[in-house]
Amino acid sequence: MNLVADTWFQIQRHIRTQFRMPVWIFVNLFQPIVWLVLFTQVFKSLSDMPGLGGTSYLQFFAPGVVVMTVMFGSAWAGMGMLHDIDMGILSKMLATPATRGSIIMSRVIASMVMLIVQALIIFTIAVIMGVDLATGVPGVLLTILLVSMLGLGFAAFSNGLALLLRREEPLIGVITFATLPIMFLSSTMMPADLLPGWLDTVRHFNPVDYAVVGVRGLVMDGYIWSDLWRSLVVLFGWAALGTAFGTMMFRAKAE
Amino acid sequence: MSVIVTHHLTKVFPGGVRAVDGIDFEVNAGEIFGFLGPNGAGKTTTIKMLNTLIEPTSGTAVVAGFDICKNPAEVRKRIGYVAQDVGVDERATGRENLTLYGHFYRLDSKTIKKRVKEIFELVDLAGYEDKIVSTYSGGMRKRLDIAMGLIHRPEVIFLDEPTAGLDPQTRVRIWDYIRNLAKAMGVTIFLTTHYMEEADHLADRIAIIDLGKIITMGTPDELKQSISGDVVTLSLLTAEDDDHNELMRRTESALSAEPFVIGTQAVGDKLAVYVDNGESAVPSIMRLLAGQGIEVETISMARPSLDDVFLKYTGRTIRAEEGTATTFAQIRRKRIRRQQ
Ligand SMILES: Nc1ncnc2c1ncn2[C@@H]1O[C@H](COP(=O)(O)OP(=O)(O)OP(=O)(O)O)[C@@H](O)[C@H]1O
Ligand SMILES: [Mg+2]
Repeated sequence: MNLVADTWFQIQRHIRTQFRMPVWIFVNLFQPIVWLVLFTQVFKSLSDMPGLGGTSYLQFFAPGVVVMTVMFGSAWAGMGMLHDIDMGILSKMLATPATRGSIIMSRVIASMVMLIVQALIIFTIAVIMGVDLATGVPGVLLTILLVSMLGLGFAAFSNGLALLLRREEPLIGVITFATLPIMFLSSTMMPADLLPGWLDTVRHFNPVDYAVVGVRGLVMDGYIWSDLWRSLVVLFGWAALGTAFGTMMFRAKAE
Repeated sequence: MSVIVTHHLTKVFPGGVRAVDGIDFEVNAGEIFGFLGPNGAGKTTTIKMLNTLIEPTSGTAVVAGFDICKNPAEVRKRIGYVAQDVGVDERATGRENLTLYGHFYRLDSKTIKKRVKEIFELVDLAGYEDKIVSTYSGGMRKRLDIAMGLIHRPEVIFLDEPTAGLDPQTRVRIWDYIRNLAKAMGVTIFLTTHYMEEADHLADRIAIIDLGKIITMGTPDELKQSISGDVVTLSLLTAEDDDHNELMRRTESALSAEPFVIGTQAVGDKLAVYVDNGESAVPSIMRLLAGQGIEVETISMARPSLDDVFLKYTGRTIRAEEGTATTFAQIRRKRIRRQQ
């Protein structure tokens, strides 16, 4: 009970903080739009390629933008924790009876909430731009479930790293270093059939790819349950792994 | 009744630093207990152990009736912690900061609302409840920081260097709030500081800590009385072309040679001379310096301050009891270096 209450009060704090930074909100909403417009322009000629089966690149890429937004957004979630460490907020909190778990959980959930809102906005814009959602609203809900698991894993990892590294520069370094390759080592930008062989193998070890495959299926083809189940299981595993790492770091390093 | 009792409390950090080295003390209910020591003495480490933020390497303590090792959760409910660095959320309002803490201590919303009003008045922040903290001044933030440790009416509140880094005026005001709060709420206060005046001003009892060990403990008066003798402070008349430093050095060496002088110490452009008996020392000093052609501009005599107590006790641990000019100068230099 206390865990739920503490988590709830802190989620309010985190979300309030975000809304007090209008520039941040603007950038986060604007960025996916830029991606949608820019990338579909750059890759316009790809629409004729065999892997796309005649669909537009926008139709192909929109699910990728949703996944990318969630991935990048949650990968940076640890910065908030670092701020609390630097400002002495964390150690002050630890001297209160606040449940330990709520401190990291509220951060991860707050990130999720913000990212789900972003994902919904991207879907809306994509539909306006002409994307056809094969599975409609239920598909969007399933998408939300998939990307939430993906983001939860990343956010928890990021918070754990913040606790481990404790300084801004290394944390920024690690996140920047990790996110781009993680995105390119997947079928986010390119149909899997068009990837070189080694990349097609590597992507099977990448949680982002499972999210992309799952979401893309829902948007383009309908319910392909074999793919969906695999994505769900892997992403639940990823979320559990991230949570375990985050919690472990919190136990060991929070002081 | 004791609110804090420690039993051989010890913390050894990885790498072998004995930050806190087997200390024993008791803090009585309702008193302001000052923990006085230079930088790196082990003050924060002690507070963090008492606050259950870090575990002792050995030994333990009972805080507000519960053992910090066996029952940290119960301890946390009964204490307030105001860290050395201000720990408020600058992107939230004062009320939001306080309310979150109210919830952590399981107070209901009505009680929280009432207490926020009370506490903001107590620390003189009334009217600023709904302003974002980043618009507060440094002193206001510190007051909010202290207020956050009070929302649940703790039995004991820990203040780690509450006025470090604040300007002298703000410092005096914070002192007023702290004293006020002890009176208004009857809360026991455990306070660390490396400002002598602060300990002298606020604390009912003081423990002096250096290199992880308690060197001496008592009321400010007891501690001052523990030093025999007086302090004679004098300033020298410097002619235009005289070298002031050179003159000070000559004066110091002339005085240290005298048997009635325990030690000397430069304090700004004045010279403090520690002597057995002030009344008879003043004329002797005047005579001696006149004989050397050194002119005294002002001279005054005082009972020792806590500063002198500290010097005496740390002097003993840092170096063997010599009481010469060099010892005092070295201690002073060492102290300054540590503060940097
Ligand atoms: N996490 C740590 N790991 C290793 N050594 C530490 C750690 N924290 C403190 N120390 C060492 O322990 C000693 C005591 O530190 P502490 O912070 O308790 O001093 P302090 O009295 O609070 O000093 P200050 O007035 O500077 O705040 C110092 O020598 C410090 O370097
Ligand atoms: Mg300290």
